[in-house]
Amino acid sequence: MSALGGAAGGAEGFSSPVGLIGGIILLILSFVLAFYFGAMATVWILLGVVIGGVLIGFGVHFVPVGGAPAAMGQAPGIATGVAMLAAGAGLAGLFGGAWAAELGLGLALAGGAIGGALMMAITCMMVNVIYVFGMGIPAASGKVAKDPITGDTFPEYKSQGSEGHGLPFISYVGGVIGGFFAGLGGSLIYLMLLDIYEQTLPDILGASAESIVPLAVSLAGIFAIGMFLVNAVLSAYNITGTIEGPHDPKFRRVPRAMIASAVASAVCGIIAIMIIFVGV
Amino acid sequence: MEELMLGIGITAIAGALATVAGAAEDTESDIGSQGDPNSQVQLAPQMGYIHRIFNKAVSGEPPAYGLWCALGAGLAWALMAMQLNPILALILGSALAVFVQGVYCVTAYLGRTASLAKFEQPVYIDILKSVTTVTMAHAFIAIFTTVTMCHLMNTALGHPFPLPLLGLVWGIALGAAGSATGNPFYGKERQYQNYDFGAGTPISASGDIVRYAEAGDRSSLDNGWFTSKLGGPASGVCFGLIVFLELWRTVLFEEWGNGWGAIIAGVILVLIFTAIDRYIEVYARKTFGPYGAPEAVEEETSTEAST
Amino acid sequence: MSVEITASEGGIPHNKLMISCLIVSIICLYLTYVNTYTTGAYLSFFGGLAAVSALVWGSDTIKHLCSYGLGTGVPSAGMMAFGSGVIAFLIATKFGVYAPIVAIIVAAVVGAILGFCANKITNMNIPVMEISLTELCIVGAVTMMGLVAMLCGSFDFTALVQGSATFFGLEFVDYGVSVIGACVLAAIFMLGGIALQHPFNACLGPNESQDRTLMLTAECGFLSMIPVAVISYVFIDFVSATLALIISVLGWLYTFVKYLELSKRDAYAWLDAKQIREVGGE
Repeated sequence: MSALGGAAGGAEGFSSPVGLIGGIILLILSFVLAFYFGAMATVWILLGVVIGGVLIGFGVHFVPVGGAPAAMGQAPGIATGVAMLAAGAGLAGLFGGAWAAELGLGLALAGGAIGGALMMAITCMMVNVIYVFGMGIPAASGKVAKDPITGDTFPEYKSQGSEGHGLPFISYVGGVIGGFFAGLGGSLIYLMLLDIYEQTLPDILGASAESIVPLAVSLAGIFAIGMFLVNAVLSAYNITGTIEGPHDPKFRRVPRAMIASAVASAVCGIIAIMIIFVGV
Repeated sequence: MEELMLGIGITAIAGALATVAGAAEDTESDIGSQGDPNSQVQLAPQMGYIHRIFNKAVSGEPPAYGLWCALGAGLAWALMAMQLNPILALILGSALAVFVQGVYCVTAYLGRTASLAKFEQPVYIDILKSVTTVTMAHAFIAIFTTVTMCHLMNTALGHPFPLPLLGLVWGIALGAAGSATGNPFYGKERQYQNYDFGAGTPISASGDIVRYAEAGDRSSLDNGWFTSKLGGPASGVCFGLIVFLELWRTVLFEEWGNGWGAIIAGVILVLIFTAIDRYIEVYARKTFGPYGAPEAVEEETSTEAST
Repeated sequence: MSVEITASEGGIPHNKLMISCLIVSIICLYLTYVNTYTTGAYLSFFGGLAAVSALVWGSDTIKHLCSYGLGTGVPSAGMMAFGSGVIAFLIATKFGVYAPIVAIIVAAVVGAILGFCANKITNMNIPVMEISLTELCIVGAVTMMGLVAMLCGSFDFTALVQGSATFFGLEFVDYGVSVIGACVLAAIFMLGGIALQHPFNACLGPNESQDRTLMLTAECGFLSMIPVAVISYVFIDFVSATLALIISVLGWLYTFVKYLELSKRDAYAWLDAKQIREVGGE
């Protein structure tokens, strides 16, 4: 995906208090519905889903994406779309988290997070391998003059006419952190939904707990992927295409993306939970 | 012990399949010119550079490969559910998925090029006839290896996700890894090989892609040869490492420390790769040197403050 | 320097297209419901036609949304549509015969809320964002419902989770061999997601024309029906699946040939093995 067109919005801050107030009302409504349908246990599940969504939105902002200019060595970052790169890392993490699901929540979450971080670590390292050994271009950021972590200076390492290239160390670390949170968030949503489906589906379908496991896994899996994509695309809209990593000024837009993710995840989560309680 | 041996063996073959998948995926996306570098192919006629490159605008690579692999996996699952031999099911499922991919490629090229009529970019039918089948062949390798790898994970390693869901997950991951690694190599080194090596392309050069080849007009087929020199194998190594290490650290270390062994192994691996990346970055700065003299940033700010 | 997204003006008005496609989809979905009264699932293919109709509507919506310049590419709109649509679709399946109506209502609500999040909270300030995301969510839900109905003959939750496997000639219930249990939804999810955003993404450019884009959408829809028809052999009887497969292939051939004709009409030149013309670049 390339960063096509210019941004119509993306200005800093909220457009009006309407957004914030409306979001809070929707959040409260979702939790009230959760309590109405299933009491406190369901509220905890929905809370887990909301936190998972917020973590995904948060993590997506760390991932360094340069879009189409990065593919020509004109801008730093990875030359893929924001939402789908984060989705790749998060889903690789979800794979690990789902595999460790029966070992307990903490272990499964850690597995998911490390899976996402590992995928981004390998991908970012190979990106730098290509830039350095295949294209002969050192890494340089276009947004800051000095790397906040290593202290490397960038202006003299930026080629003429470009906005920087490659993955400076801060962008690399940002990518790994982004993969960590994306994997963590996706796994959290999956595990919460898996928990509630495994508990309630046997009663609804009149079947044994072991036989409905494939159903619970698939339902939770497809919901998790759907919500992952919604959160990632919302964050991509917030970033308006490209971001260099946590040092980029655009990173300051994170708070409103986290609120948007919380609201979107609460609404989608309560519907995913209500599937058990409604029906003719 | 036997289970561990089987697990390690399956991990090894999954890693090998993933490496082939990554290499084939990047080669396919460069032959068809997909993803972010394709915006230059789209831009070139607008800047007055008519070309004969296959303008395959089928979204980016992660969602596209998510589709081909999920579809291949879904079809393979269906054929297996109809009691077909698993290997035959995997091959036929991948073949039908590749047919869908081929149609998408053709419609993408026609759509984008017909919409560029204002800039006088013609539709070259012989490009469709020559490049499409080559793209499909590479895609078949990528899809088949990925779906086979997913099948092994599901049946031999006991992952709870069903085959179509695994196909979706690893398809998107394959596209993300392959596109991240391979896109800059194709975009800068191939499309802009007439510009200086060792520097990024200046923004003023947008659209001025290479259109004439070693002999005659450049065809996208040549990109396959080019990609297989570095971009393809690098993407293969990237995706192969991702799959192999993800499986390896789980299969080998999960029994230690109540499962935390796998987590600690993962953290150590992330730290190792961070160290390697830092080494590469420092190596580049020292070996290549700066483009110009380091700017005296502090001196300037102090003179500004005093005036 | 980046590629501009331009969309054509004129053609069929968006609201007219939306209403007619929505009505066609609902009718087709209820035609598949007739399957519950027949012995075989002969009318399953109407589910696929419902999906095609919804996709045609959706690609016009994407055209309107993306011509405002989102900053991200077109594919993310398709992923958003299906990410939210699958949630609305799954809860609607629990409502038996009312499923299509419930899906549309729930999807409209979810889409409106997502549009609210995108416009008011992340401050995108795109005029058509809320209405477009509402429409896209409905399109996602209806497309998934249509393709799933084509797959297993019904859009009811119990039908989606029922599956059986044979073990040495004996049949027993195996939830893993159902549409949801084996997560064939994953394949349908991506099929719809790519089919929704591909037509506008592929026909992007100064000479984009609505009839060509919509013909490509119909072609993508029929193309998606072909693998769904192949997978449906697992869930419905042989005759119905073959009927669906034949209709899908014929529909695809017709729309593909038409699309080739329209591309030939719109292209600057239709050359075979000719060299590059220099138009005097910079």
